[in-house]
Amino acid sequence: MSIRDRVAALHAELAEAPEFPSQGATLFVDLERRETRTGYTPLPVVRTLLGGRGANMYYLHRLLDESLTPLHPDIPLIFGSGVLTGLVPSAARGNCTSWSPESGVLMDSNCGDYFPSFLRMNGYDHVVLYGRRPGWTMIVIRDGVVSFEDAAAYEGLDNIDLRARVQQDLGGVWTRNMAMVNITRAGERQVLTAGIMGGPKAIYARGGPGAKMGALGLKAIVTLAQTREFTTAQPYKPYNRHIAQKLLGTSVVKNALSKTGTPFLYKPSRVLGAMGTKNNQETTWTDALDAGNHDPYRDGMEGCFRCPVNCRPLNDLHSAEPDRYDKGDGPEYVTLGKFGPNLGIDDVKAVMRLNNICNDLGFDTASTGSAIGWAMELFQRGLITTADTGGLDLTWGNAAAVETLLFLMSRREGFGNVVADSARAVEKGHYPAEALKYRMTVKGLWQSDPHDARILKAFALGLAVATRGMDHLRNRVTLEINAKINDDAAFKAELYGGPVSAEPNSYVGKERAVRACENTYAVGDSVGMCRFTTKLFNSPSLPGMEEFRQQIENVTGLVFTPEALDRVGLNVMGVERLINYRLGVRRKDDTLPDRWFDEPNTFGPFKGEHIDRAEFDAMLSRFYQISELTSEGVPRDEWRGQLNAVLGG
Amino acid sequence: MILVHFPAMLHPVAGREQRVDEPVANVGELLAALERLVPGLGAALEDPVYNLAVNDDMLLHGVHAHPLSDGDVVEVIPTIAGG
Repeated sequence: MSIRDRVAALHAELAEAPEFPSQGATLFVDLERRETRTGYTPLPVVRTLLGGRGANMYYLHRLLDESLTPLHPDIPLIFGSGVLTGLVPSAARGNCTSWSPESGVLMDSNCGDYFPSFLRMNGYDHVVLYGRRPGWTMIVIRDGVVSFEDAAAYEGLDNIDLRARVQQDLGGVWTRNMAMVNITRAGERQVLTAGIMGGPKAIYARGGPGAKMGALGLKAIVTLAQTREFTTAQPYKPYNRHIAQKLLGTSVVKNALSKTGTPFLYKPSRVLGAMGTKNNQETTWTDALDAGNHDPYRDGMEGCFRCPVNCRPLNDLHSAEPDRYDKGDGPEYVTLGKFGPNLGIDDVKAVMRLNNICNDLGFDTASTGSAIGWAMELFQRGLITTADTGGLDLTWGNAAAVETLLFLMSRREGFGNVVADSARAVEKGHYPAEALKYRMTVKGLWQSDPHDARILKAFALGLAVATRGMDHLRNRVTLEINAKINDDAAFKAELYGGPVSAEPNSYVGKERAVRACENTYAVGDSVGMCRFTTKLFNSPSLPGMEEFRQQIENVTGLVFTPEALDRVGLNVMGVERLINYRLGVRRKDDTLPDRWFDEPNTFGPFKGEHIDRAEFDAMLSRFYQISELTSEGVPRDEWRGQLNAVLGG
Repeated sequence: MILVHFPAMLHPVAGREQRVDEPVANVGELLAALERLVPGLGAALEDPVYNLAVNDDMLLHGVHAHPLSDGDVVEVIPTIAGG
């Protein structure tokens, strides 16, 4: 069945009008024929999965043809905003979903800035893209009206230049009435670590979405519309004030996120001996990259649409001979870790410059930094030499070589073509099979964050079971590093729905904490809430199920209990696992890199710590048990039947 | 004597560091002594955002009972998650 037939069958089941106040349409875009059609996500789907990430899974589940390959134009690329996106403070997020060309499993990436909210201002909650015509296309959505533009003039432009040109050509104003998602040269060339940019720094990063959009010949989607008020079921702004107060009254937001941003986490990780260093061969690094050392270069803070937090640090390197990368946006903790300790770089200015380059070139800094770190370890071990790298000296800490490599990657030139194939470099014949021993991936995806999880077993389990691969943003039990919560057993049990060991390196009860986080974060993604300001990620006092429930009711009129929302979170994970099962994922894939099982931690109070295979396997079984999964990690029969009844097809 | 270093966000309350000269056997007693030195500081340190490291070893549980010895250096470290 072709994608057009699949879309036609699905479209026939969609509602013709909004199912509840504030609901936007789903826009289906046939890029080859330049045709569109619209419908509305059916109410039973929304009750089961909400919107954003959740409803994206409904569309992917229905439209996926696993007999094809991820970059085939009949495999759709799906954008979705949450049911509260654009209406609630700090709910400015949306997801981008497909079959990952990088990992080979589910691709699902989350982004903020302005596009997810402005898409809704134009009347759309989801956009489903498929097909390809020769050349490059730009979609412009102006006051809800879709047009197709020839994007030949934008071919080859990276993020900085593209944003300037598009603003000049279309006449809108970023952050006021115009937003864009776009690819760079790296996306055009289907570099597997390429993301889809959603702003100067914001990016749908994980799993190679830029390569997927490039494979559809789509350079950008631009939205143009004035912000508007939504018709809602009940007044919602009074409760928005409560949420804003809750956000700004939380210490971690007030004292850290809004002042310095996420680089704060660097220090706790390195002091603990949990900082992935030199491709996780070591576990601590210099204090020269501590957040305090960013202060001289922090040029202000920015934020997403209607977010009161403003957690994004801007940088100005004050170079004697400034160029286009002397100023930028970021870095976040992930970029700091992946381009600092992971590559053996100890100069904060060098890391910031590489961050600014990645923002322009459209790279997922997690995968890009990891792929380069892998190459550096292979270089260290003599598995590759300068004869393979085109003369590039990939010695740890060589920031100049890393910079050169980034540009080569973006053009798929020389050794850049090797690293552009990311974790698939062995499969593509670039590296010998022995290189796989040093590849730090789960389900084909590099670890998202730099935290070495040999110590904290809840972190390790989360990375193993995350549906999109080795990623902390799906279920990270961050509060495991919070000593005061660990020392309050009753509070901790209440937080996670049962006892969880206070000891960070214990396996006891950690499955319960991962389950609770996975449910909460899946719901957060499906309403559009930022992870940083969602309960359990940074604080137990941030908005969670109760606040989501209240505001979903105010905005949409749909009534959920916190327990029902918890079930929605489980459902989202369940559908994701059904999709992954079709892509060949089994229990054996819910695991960790061998290095963490076989090589002990080298530094700090937990020196010698590693993951015990038997203990891990038992913890995984307990996780499956409380998650209502079979021994192969998919929803059990009764639940699967319920999900399939809603998903249809 | 125990030397306690504070992060920038606590400098307005605690300064960059405090010396605690009175004998303390564990972290719980140290926090009480800090409150006596700088009224309000003990309460500020109860905020879950702050972890403590003793001689560069970050404590993740059993904090109040953690033993201290003369000459130990304690650092207050804010914790946060990132993306």
